[in-house]
Amino acid sequence: MRFVRNVFRRKLRAFLTIFGITIGVLSLVVMGAMTEKLTLLVNGGVRYYGDKVTVTSGSTLLGLATNPLSSNRISDLERVPGVARASASLGMLLDKQIPTVSFGNIPTINASDGRDRGYETFIVKMAQGRELRPGEDGKVTVGSDIVNKLSATVGGTVKIRDKKFEVVGIAEKTLTAPDQAVVMSMRDAQDLYADTLPAAIRQSIDPHKLATSIVVYVKPGKNPDVIARLINHEIPDLKASGPTDFITQIVASLSTLNAIIIGIAMISLMVGGLSVINTMTMAVSERTREIGIRKAIGASNGAIMRQFIAEAAIIGLTGGLTGLVLGWMFTSVVNAAMEVSGAPLFLVTARLAVGSVLFATVLGVLSGLYPAWHAANMNPVEALRHE
Amino acid sequence: MSDVVGTLYGDAPDVAAGPTPVIRAVDLAKRYKLGKENFVDALRSAAFEVAEGEMVAIVGPSGSGKSTAMHLVGCLDSPDSGEVWLNGRRVDGLRGRALTRVRAHEIGFIFQGFNLIPTMNATENVAQAAEYAGLSRSAAAMRAGELLDLVGLADRAKHLPSELSGGQQQRVAIARSLVNSPKIVLGDEPTGDLDTVTSDEIVRMMRKINTDMHTTFVLVTHNPEVAAACDRTISMRDGVVVDQGYGA
Repeated sequence: MRFVRNVFRRKLRAFLTIFGITIGVLSLVVMGAMTEKLTLLVNGGVRYYGDKVTVTSGSTLLGLATNPLSSNRISDLERVPGVARASASLGMLLDKQIPTVSFGNIPTINASDGRDRGYETFIVKMAQGRELRPGEDGKVTVGSDIVNKLSATVGGTVKIRDKKFEVVGIAEKTLTAPDQAVVMSMRDAQDLYADTLPAAIRQSIDPHKLATSIVVYVKPGKNPDVIARLINHEIPDLKASGPTDFITQIVASLSTLNAIIIGIAMISLMVGGLSVINTMTMAVSERTREIGIRKAIGASNGAIMRQFIAEAAIIGLTGGLTGLVLGWMFTSVVNAAMEVSGAPLFLVTARLAVGSVLFATVLGVLSGLYPAWHAANMNPVEALRHE
Repeated sequence: MSDVVGTLYGDAPDVAAGPTPVIRAVDLAKRYKLGKENFVDALRSAAFEVAEGEMVAIVGPSGSGKSTAMHLVGCLDSPDSGEVWLNGRRVDGLRGRALTRVRAHEIGFIFQGFNLIPTMNATENVAQAAEYAGLSRSAAAMRAGELLDLVGLADRAKHLPSELSGGQQQRVAIARSLVNSPKIVLGDEPTGDLDTVTSDEIVRMMRKINTDMHTTFVLVTHNPEVAAACDRTISMRDGVVVDQGYGA
């Protein structure tokens, strides 16, 4: 309590210094919440892709997206040694319009031919209702993040790409991609997908053979990366990617993004730290005579040092807590606003909350070290003479 | 610690017959630098003694070295040469914890301008010194309450210094100086910022404590009335003691 009183002796200065730390922690929390969300998405991806090979067509459409491939290729893939099962899947954007700005995941439509049953280990459970059964047309399950966007209720209907579907289940929160996915039958998804293709292509293909990728499950003991290389070797017109490809591409780019985001937040916190040094140095200077008195009445150098470090820590802690609260409020408001689009941007995790406040407190302590050391080592006579 | 110090520095030198000296300043010299080349000799071979239970004034013109002498005796600074003995052991040259212990346990300070910590109330100001001496916060607060009662400020215990008059603030400072039951209380112009009536009141209070508790007081003062109220006056001039005030 005494330390708190000392910190707030100069209320405006204390407020401004704490405000500096608050801004730093606010940016750390907001930026950190974004990376936490992205990290969870990627971790989900790592879990999903970790035991399988993803096969796409080797060619691209105008260099932008991979061409669809035919589910007939399943038999080619299942002939490759080490492959246990191949399952066609189809993924596409939920909305017709591609979002111009996007952070994290974009709402999607996902479908599978059902051949993955018994092989897929990434199971999304339902919070309400039930899972979609294979071949169940006209029905969907909805990811937890897009329930509001679609106004989905179990037993009700939702409109997807101008077609109505009955909602049979709402998925549990996974904190990763399935939270923003509508799952429907392969046939329904193929129909919707075919509508997106140019008329010339649409007429030349069987839409019910379309897939955007084929998921390959490997036999027990087989390395999916090795199998991916084998597929690429044996079926050169397809492109097979193993878990390492995913990790190398996505995780590496996420690490860079994380480093940039956290770096920006750290810089703002460092500026806050400098303001703590400035404030504490001024406090020591203003209270030189008090330091002399304290030494004269028996304060050890350690006691003086502890006092000023505690005051600096209080500045850091107060700034940290304020920044956390403001950051949490900001991310909550933005997430609520973005819930309409089904793509919450931020996730304030416990480790982020505790880490931010702890970091601000430690920063306060470190920033207070030199002023405290300077105070502790003052000559008491000179300090007492100070006006 | 006292055994260690005794071993390092030897026992106290023999003193003249009479009351046991609690303070012995032996040939103290102290030079302060003024800039890079100039300096001032604040003390040159100053020597004096104060017996246990005495109330002594140190007087002299400005620059005579009386405050410097008090700082050296109070272990707030160390002499360039000479010795300081407190309660029979040599204390000049002590460092770190040993020095802090002497300041906390063996000496009480009263300053001109009261020098209370502005964010602490009267009890906390007094208790702080007891906490530095190792008492728990609750024990220190209890002890502070006793001392504030002694100086007649029990009803002002929760007041901040800014809510107290000059005389009341100085009484808080007296309570603080006594909180660890030191044998010696050093006062640097303790009545310097007080009016005559309040000054008399403070001197009477110190005299009563001196009599009742047998606490030794050494008061640096410019005020002849304060000096007159003391048992003895040590006079200083140009960094030396010119008269120990024992009379002819």
